[in-house]
Amino acid sequence: MAVVERREDLLEEAPGRKPGSRSRRVTLILSLALVLLFPAIAYPVFDSYAYVLQIGMLILMWVAMSSSWNIIGGFAGYISLGHGLFYAIGGYSAGLALAHWGISPFLFLPLAGLAAMGVGFLAGLITLRTRGPAFIVATIAMLFLGLLTFDNWEFIGGTNGLDLPLFQFPIEFLKVPFYYAMALTAIGAVYLSYRVAHSKFGLGLRAISQDETKAEVAGINTRWYKVWAFALSAIFIGMAGAIYGYSLTHLRPLTFFAIAVAARMVLAAIIGGRGTVAGPVVGAILIIGVNEVAVRQMGESAINIVFTGLILVVTLLFFPEGIVGSLRKAGRLPAFLDWD
Amino acid sequence: MPLLEVDNVVVGYGAGPDILTGLSLNIEEGTAYCIVGPNGAGKSTLLRCIAGFLPPRVGEVRLDGARMNGSRPDQMLAAGVCFVPQDASLFPGMTVKENLVMGGYLIDDRSLLQERLETVYETFPVLAERKSQHAGTLSGGEQQMVTLGRALMIEPRMVMIDEPSLGLAPMIADQIFEKITGFKDLGITVVLVEQNAVKGLETVDWGFVLDLGCLEFEGPADGILADPRIRDLYLGKAMTPREGA
Amino acid sequence: MQWVQLVVLGLLLGGVYAMMASGLTLLFGVMRVVNLAHAAFILLAAYLTYTLFENVAMDPMISLVVTMPLMFGLGVVLYLILFPRLEASPRYVEMTVLLTFGLALIVEGMLTFVFTGIFRSVRPVYSSTAINLGEIFMPTSQFYASTISFGLLIVLWAVLRFTKTGTAIRATMQNRSAAQIVGVNVRRVSAISFGIGMALAGAAGSLLSFMFPFFPARHWQWVAILLALIVLGGMGSIKGAVIGALLLAIASAFVTDLFGPTWSPITFYLTLFLILMLKPEGLFGAKVRL
Repeated sequence: MAVVERREDLLEEAPGRKPGSRSRRVTLILSLALVLLFPAIAYPVFDSYAYVLQIGMLILMWVAMSSSWNIIGGFAGYISLGHGLFYAIGGYSAGLALAHWGISPFLFLPLAGLAAMGVGFLAGLITLRTRGPAFIVATIAMLFLGLLTFDNWEFIGGTNGLDLPLFQFPIEFLKVPFYYAMALTAIGAVYLSYRVAHSKFGLGLRAISQDETKAEVAGINTRWYKVWAFALSAIFIGMAGAIYGYSLTHLRPLTFFAIAVAARMVLAAIIGGRGTVAGPVVGAILIIGVNEVAVRQMGESAINIVFTGLILVVTLLFFPEGIVGSLRKAGRLPAFLDWD
Repeated sequence: MPLLEVDNVVVGYGAGPDILTGLSLNIEEGTAYCIVGPNGAGKSTLLRCIAGFLPPRVGEVRLDGARMNGSRPDQMLAAGVCFVPQDASLFPGMTVKENLVMGGYLIDDRSLLQERLETVYETFPVLAERKSQHAGTLSGGEQQMVTLGRALMIEPRMVMIDEPSLGLAPMIADQIFEKITGFKDLGITVVLVEQNAVKGLETVDWGFVLDLGCLEFEGPADGILADPRIRDLYLGKAMTPREGA
Repeated sequence: MQWVQLVVLGLLLGGVYAMMASGLTLLFGVMRVVNLAHAAFILLAAYLTYTLFENVAMDPMISLVVTMPLMFGLGVVLYLILFPRLEASPRYVEMTVLLTFGLALIVEGMLTFVFTGIFRSVRPVYSSTAINLGEIFMPTSQFYASTISFGLLIVLWAVLRFTKTGTAIRATMQNRSAAQIVGVNVRRVSAISFGIGMALAGAAGSLLSFMFPFFPARHWQWVAILLALIVLGGMGSIKGAVIGALLLAIASAFVTDLFGPTWSPITFYLTLFLILMLKPEGLFGAKVRL
């Protein structure tokens, strides 16, 4: 397929790649093992098994989403607040496939990702005609346009939503397949982020984020780079949406289009370190972790939102590079976090 | 005491490398100077630093002996240091007259403002003709006249002009240099940065030769023009006589 | 519905939108800040007006006298605390967007905490009456609101045109570094502009309080519309914001009449995308140097 060929070309290795350090490989293997074996390890350890798996799934979901967002928001420097659209596309396309054709979202997953990528490509063609602040506005408009369309679309259930049938499975282990599906998605997203970061394509994106005019003059086809980055960033967000929607067994537009979704993706990437590979991962783990603790203590309340906003403001004012970025600047980035 | 002292200044942009690497020079009141040197020497950077756009990383800038480091551009102007930068520094949506009036922003006395405006119109008849025209529609030379006229409004003690002849046809450039000589006659201290080193040095009294962020050489302007070593090293092709130059 | 009626309704609503959008575009023009929190602050003022109405029976239009100066002060203070630190940053524009995003969340959270998510509205006597001019009817609340809005817009125009500070603001909007060179203290101008933008948001909040019911999360819809308006009109152009607001409000009145109220917000977004495809810098925008 021409599409695949072109991507392979762009993903060819950028010159001067660092040799993989042993520490990095060890970290990689350990963390992969942890992620994949977690359900087995957790079973005897935790009482509220389903709850723990749910948290695990959420963390993996946000790792996938913020790592994906990072491709356009971090590497290319184009802040999109409208990525909830792709989340919705993934969720609804998989949900519809299930409701109307009986195809399990787990099987439909790659198609959900592809659907999101397709929409991302088209949306990118329009929104990326602008830069900087106008772009941010365009993505917000894109989000709201999406919300309004989904809310008023009878076929998919409109505001009331769509119910999804669930498969037969022992209740106790119900969350396990969702966990693994999300784990695959997260691994895929981080892997994509890693490959982009270490490719000519990624180098070009970084050039664009530093100085777009100079990048153009240097011969980089900025328009295509940006549009592709936008499209790529949509894939795993779509897949995450498919899995999450299924786990809820009920799809409503607001679940996917809420600003809180965009806020979390952005916040995770920024706190962790925008423009790095490890940053969004760190940020997502932190955010979900802290959020859960907060919800436990204070309940799902407005204070939560104030907190999110406050953390964002403080981070921007004092640690704009995020955790990974600041550590790197201070020369103290531990090797296991250095995936760039 | 010199009007302005630049004392061992080190300056760079953002988090970037040092452009000026320990530059020292003195500006005496009432004299006209031209700063020349190869590209990247730091000439414009020096002006921007003095004007208040770039605080020195190391060293001091002193006006009448008082330390001015970190002053804002508007504060430097209030102290009598006027900066005419290289890029378009006009207000494109305003007319010539409005642009000139903006030059007198710091003047509170309406009648004084009016007086100064008249003086500028006399000195630059072109501007009087085009006073109601939008500044964005003027030719290069006319725009440069506006920026010079704007500087004149405030009657500064010192005016720093970055590349006054940039992008101008030689005949127009000559007119600009004439006007700059006019500043000199008014007793205003003039500091030019000029790529066209010949024209620049011909207009002024004293020359500074910058290279790699430091002062390499200074001396009377005609001396620098005549000195073959300086010519070969720093003025290069600019010294090739042009028609009408 | 007769088209004149629709145009009138559009103008009435458009007037208020125009005022809201002007504040937002002023902020962008002077400081290159996209204030995602603008609508959140409008809501803050609306809740303030609501509180005054419920507790002291202050008419919402009178409460402009309270909300505007208060919001002006808040604006100046917020600016001075938050923005100068970011000025040196090379990613200034993105950072400020994210910063105001965070601010919006904070304001929304606090409002939800204090007032909960119930729909509120201010219901003075005139909120349910209408004025009839021949065959045209105008809801009284919208008539008052847009009259005040147009009045404030005229005041804004006069301030920008005739006062020294206003001229400094205009100069800063056209060319920030040139303004500095002629002696404008751009930091002071920025702070004052932020204050003015917030004061206009304050007025908008007081007016909106009796025009529509509101709840804390509502601001996201408002800000999306406002942002679409200023991109449409050309970011940084007040003239563009006003014209864009009026045109789109009229268009959406027609759309509502033809297709129903749910489609009217879509008018704004679709028009935005249309403009983005044809003329990305907006109706009156210059090719913006960012």
